[in-house]
Amino acid sequence: MSLRSLMFGWEYPPIHLGGLGVACQGLVRGLLRNGIDISLVLPHPNPQAAQELDIIAPTPEELERIIVTSNLKPYDSVEEYAHRIRAIESHEENQIYGEDLAQEIENYTAMSIDLTKNVEADVIHCHDWMTYEAGIRASAHHKKPLVAHIHATELDRTHFHPNPWIYEKEKRGFLHADNIIAVSNYTKEILTGHYGINPNKITVVHNGNNKTTAELGGALRTEYRQKRGPMILFLGRLTVQKGPNQFLDMAAQVHKYRPDVHFVMAGDGHMLGELIHKTHALGLQDNVIFAGKVSNTEAQKLFAQAECFVMPSLSEPFGLVALEAVAEGTPVVLSNQSGVGEVMNHALKVDFWDTAKMADCVLTILRENVLGSQLRSEASHILKTLTWENQAKQVRSLYHKILDRC
Amino acid sequence: MNNKNPNICFYFQVHQPYRLRDIRYTEIGHSRHEDYFDHQKNHDIFRKVAEKCYLPANALMLKMLKNHPEFRISYSISGVFLDQCEEYGKDVLDSFRALADTGQVEFMAETYYHSLSALHSLPEFCEQVSMQANKINELFGQYPRIFRNTELIFTNEIAHIARLMGFRGILAEGADHILQGRSPNDPYIPPNFYLPDENYWNVINKQFPDSVPDKNIYVLLKNYRLSDDVAFRFSDKSWIGFPLTAETFTDWLLENHGHNINLFMDYETFGEHQWADTGIFSFLEQLPIVWEKRGIKTLTPSEIIDEWENRIGTNTREQEDKATKEATSMISALSSLWKRPKDTNTPLGKFEVEKEFNAHTPVSWADTERDLSAWSGNEIQKAALNAIYELEHAVKASNDPELIKTWRRLQTSDHFYYMCTKYWSDGDVHKYFSPYDSPYEAYRRFSHAIHDIKLRLNTHSSVSNS
Repeated sequence: MSLRSLMFGWEYPPIHLGGLGVACQGLVRGLLRNGIDISLVLPHPNPQAAQELDIIAPTPEELERIIVTSNLKPYDSVEEYAHRIRAIESHEENQIYGEDLAQEIENYTAMSIDLTKNVEADVIHCHDWMTYEAGIRASAHHKKPLVAHIHATELDRTHFHPNPWIYEKEKRGFLHADNIIAVSNYTKEILTGHYGINPNKITVVHNGNNKTTAELGGALRTEYRQKRGPMILFLGRLTVQKGPNQFLDMAAQVHKYRPDVHFVMAGDGHMLGELIHKTHALGLQDNVIFAGKVSNTEAQKLFAQAECFVMPSLSEPFGLVALEAVAEGTPVVLSNQSGVGEVMNHALKVDFWDTAKMADCVLTILRENVLGSQLRSEASHILKTLTWENQAKQVRSLYHKILDRC
Repeated sequence: MNNKNPNICFYFQVHQPYRLRDIRYTEIGHSRHEDYFDHQKNHDIFRKVAEKCYLPANALMLKMLKNHPEFRISYSISGVFLDQCEEYGKDVLDSFRALADTGQVEFMAETYYHSLSALHSLPEFCEQVSMQANKINELFGQYPRIFRNTELIFTNEIAHIARLMGFRGILAEGADHILQGRSPNDPYIPPNFYLPDENYWNVINKQFPDSVPDKNIYVLLKNYRLSDDVAFRFSDKSWIGFPLTAETFTDWLLENHGHNINLFMDYETFGEHQWADTGIFSFLEQLPIVWEKRGIKTLTPSEIIDEWENRIGTNTREQEDKATKEATSMISALSSLWKRPKDTNTPLGKFEVEKEFNAHTPVSWADTERDLSAWSGNEIQKAALNAIYELEHAVKASNDPELIKTWRRLQTSDHFYYMCTKYWSDGDVHKYFSPYDSPYEAYRRFSHAIHDIKLRLNTHSSVSNS
């Protein structure tokens, strides 16, 4: 009999929002290919629409989907949730969302537990703090081991100024878990250093990817360069964690030497206003383009047009977006404070605060065509080994290991 | 004296590069002294290796040479290492001079800048070999007779160029794909090889005016199995030979037949690659004691060739040599050495019996490939090599000795080795030996230096034009 995982996960977002939904989808598919059956619990504001979620499942037996009516979004902060829920309440009458984030999580947790009480699972697996309480209760109810997967900590999101309530929720999850999957050694160190978690119960499984080789190639890049000059890309939420300020500081230094270069910042977030202001203050208004949220297809096209992709994150547990850049044949400049750097050798790496060196790397790529072409050709090798199927194999081994021990 | 035992030839490579500092794009065209090098780091590494290897190893070698008057060793020391001795370690230089004073040590020739010039520019190659040979002569009182190219890079062409420079021997890797099952433990000769045009001789002769080339040159091959037992495997606890004693190693040596066993390795093996606590120094110290007991001789590379010539008998050739030397026009006599003679059946005399080491393509001692891929295997390495040698004409035309020296220090092979990506993902030796975070960082620094030199050259030419 094959093994069944009761998984509290996140849906695959239709727009390019972040890595969590992408990682959950990849892991679910990878586990299915490794012969693991899954009961997948997904929060969704509209259970009917959720039936069309993009998950390819062979049969309902192997992948059972359980939709919980909830307005949770994985990247909400306490303030953002409150803001969002007020906006919804003024427009729609009959919603039953929680008044604040704590209440909404409690609603989600209670409903999830109720809907899954008859699932016959061998292991409970939950993703990031909002699902940890559900994981803890499910583990107690089914008397099965708990795996807490950590994709991003509150410390990453807030540049080490956490909301204490969320921090405590995370820590509670880590302490109750039989094993923790961290997406990088970088994250493992945060867990041991800042949450006091025993390193022996943390397993590092890097994220995988579903791409194989560059899809759009260099034609778009040449076309873009001829029309508008070379372009440097930022793609991520406009939040402290992703380092948009550092990107603009870098841009200003590149601009001094290469006024022909454009900078595209794709993604949105609460810092948009101040970033636009800063762009003007730096005199970069003619060179920086704020592209807003982009679809996956648009993201692919931007990667293919860019001379290089810069990920200046202040603290990035993994950084799947860097693998997406590689898949489109885009040279990557990474901050040293990122987990993806552990598996991606063919990239230039700098400390996020060293924007002068970041600018230097970008200028070098712009000047040395051969550097870009070598990064392009060598970096993509990683896509062949770092697949979700391979990474899920490590998760399956972990399941077997903790089940043997129980 | 047991004549059946092979002779042992020890050669140690001594070299340190000038590593680059974190040059920035913003400095290009503004840096004051063409100073691209990280003096603090170069100083610190030199002192660290001096304390761990050069000083204790030289002290031990001196003791061994004094205790065993028959004991012989040889070194090849790069010019940039000797430059660093002047900057960071007169004590190290003095300890090498003390070794030279024993008369039991041979010093070989190489390119002054430990460069890949042999593959890129004949004039530059000749200048660098000449500079280094003269420096050795000046410091150690002996003009080198044996040539060893950077990282043991060898081709038939390089062998014949070294012959025309006047060297009687050249070192090479005993690579399996060339030996094809033959033993590395005899001197070999390169195939009769005709350099493509007479200009070669003119270029070589300019730097080596007194050269009286032999008709052939001996190739001494590294026995990589026995050398690597010491250099790489000595402290490997998972290795079947661990722990290796002088007795056991001598047993292995005696399982070999042939004229000579060449144990070639980096000098940093002693104390730096294999730390003192592995027992490497006491192992070394035991060797001459065990070898003396068991009738094994150590010889310098020149002595290996002397004994070999005695053994096969070369009287005829010596007479020929004498005649050659007396030829009224040296150039015309020598022209037969590079021009393909009309009569292709020219008898080779005694050389017919000798074994041929035929390297059409370059062979080196690096990695399992034993080729050039460690320095020119990827796009950034090729671009960096092209960029540095493209500047040769302009740099030399500047007549600016500081600029020429800087340009030459950028030719050191290590700069290109640091850019190697072939095993990058496996976290291998390239990573271990690189002072930078990545091959791309190595390229970033190097390409900035190249661009700065280019700007300097523009300034030079505009000054001289005006």
